[in-house]
Amino acid sequence: MQNKDKSIILQNLKESSTEWIDGQGPLSDIVISSRIRLARNVEGIPFSPRAEQAELKNIFELSRQIVEEDSLFKDSNLLLLDELTPLESQFLVEKHLISIYHAQEKHPYRGCVFNQKETLSVMVNEEDHFRIQYLLSGLQLNNIWKLISDIDDEIEKKVTYAFSEKEGYLTSCPTNVGTGMRASIMLHLPALAMVNGINDILKAISKIGYVVRGFYGEGTEVMGNLFQVSNQITLGLSEEEIIDNLEKVNQQIINKEQKVRKELLSNSKSQLEDQAWRAYGILSSARIISSTEAMELLSKLRFGVGLGIIPYPDLGALNKLMLLIQPAYLQMLTGKGLDPFSRDLQRAVLIRNEINH
Amino acid sequence: MLCQICKKKEAAITFTKVVGGQKTEIHLCKDCASIFSDKFSIFPLPQFDINDLLAGLLNAIDLYHKEEGVIPGKKIECSNCHLTYDEFKQSGKLGCSVCYRDFREQLTPLLRRLHGNSEHVGKIPRQSKSKLNKIRKIKQLRKELQELVLQEEYEKAAKTRDEILKLEGVLKKKNAK
Repeated sequence: MQNKDKSIILQNLKESSTEWIDGQGPLSDIVISSRIRLARNVEGIPFSPRAEQAELKNIFELSRQIVEEDSLFKDSNLLLLDELTPLESQFLVEKHLISIYHAQEKHPYRGCVFNQKETLSVMVNEEDHFRIQYLLSGLQLNNIWKLISDIDDEIEKKVTYAFSEKEGYLTSCPTNVGTGMRASIMLHLPALAMVNGINDILKAISKIGYVVRGFYGEGTEVMGNLFQVSNQITLGLSEEEIIDNLEKVNQQIINKEQKVRKELLSNSKSQLEDQAWRAYGILSSARIISSTEAMELLSKLRFGVGLGIIPYPDLGALNKLMLLIQPAYLQMLTGKGLDPFSRDLQRAVLIRNEINH
Repeated sequence: MLCQICKKKEAAITFTKVVGGQKTEIHLCKDCASIFSDKFSIFPLPQFDINDLLAGLLNAIDLYHKEEGVIPGKKIECSNCHLTYDEFKQSGKLGCSVCYRDFREQLTPLLRRLHGNSEHVGKIPRQSKSKLNKIRKIKQLRKELQELVLQEEYEKAAKTRDEILKLEGVLKKKNAK
């Protein structure tokens, strides 16, 4: 474990460069990131929403012990959510380190463990005792599975997981039981969106057991043409099969996006150039900008950069901006609470600084 | 078909939402669809709400039980955390790992509907792996023991019995830990 002081941990988190959005992974022009999470519970203790305070404390102390003793967590931090302000919790949500549910839930001893690169995080006492999450940039679910499975084994050395031969890993919600695994891929699909090709795909995907969400997770609307596709089925398939199926589905979407990009590039290059440079123009000079407008323009600019018709900024910088412009992140960076109008002013400053860099 | 928003032009684009096999469709004309896309930067998603799905499935299974003549009103409760099945139906969340055993009869059809399957085939925790293997081994040795006794192979039977006792001892120790 690294630091124990909450303010130091949060300060570092504000200044950190989140690895999974660095734009360096495979197929980064279309795939922002890949993610796997595993839901795990300790045998003999009720699932967190139904556990007594002493039991929740046990789970939290257990995770503290693991983080302090295990070398896998040597560069990790542990935060107790009870000690955070609502703004700080929301900041963790926007960083994709915890879920909205975890931030808002009322029971005590909810924790968040994360490593320095922010690729690994563990939600302690969410709906399940442990929700282990691993994120990497670009399309690399197989790599993530190897990494997260090792972490899972390491935690299991210290605890006995709730597991049944028949139903597999037992979870609070029956929609997660079995592997306890949710794998997802975040896609940027501006070309398909431009030719109204998204609907057919979404229709097909939802029919075969996959879920599509926005960039900011469950219950959020899609912004900036970013789509998160994940598996719904967790029981009766092995982890490898789930990953393989999800990658196949995503590969098809990626192929379609690539095809449309090529067509647009040969038929409407001037329009694409115009669109990307206009987006650049507004982003680099606007004085007031809402998050919706910013996301739309960042998407257009990212599209242009991905196609190679505009040389800068790089994909990593654009991905990072998509995180930074969120309300809580902005307020953390500014160091004070801001009303929506001040946020729009501040957002414009931040984007100008990054884009004109 | 006319667009469901302007109710004037012919619908050209269809959004489909499928929840638990139930399909809802929205038909829009090109203009209305493009207004949607301008306003929100993207079309409203055919959201797959897992809670709707769960609630729908639970009610369907209940109805099935009623039709099958399963006596309603019988209160099912988890022997460990005392969550009742009715409480589970409302929240969609189980209370503890024992709930899976005590509600198995009700849960199995639900799991089959949710996942298309009710048996785990994925990763096994290391601890359970050795435990599961031992349980399987004991089962197999018991069978062998019976056969050996029938064949009056008492010496071999004694050895097998000792092996079973040893394995059971290991399991007991583990459980006590």
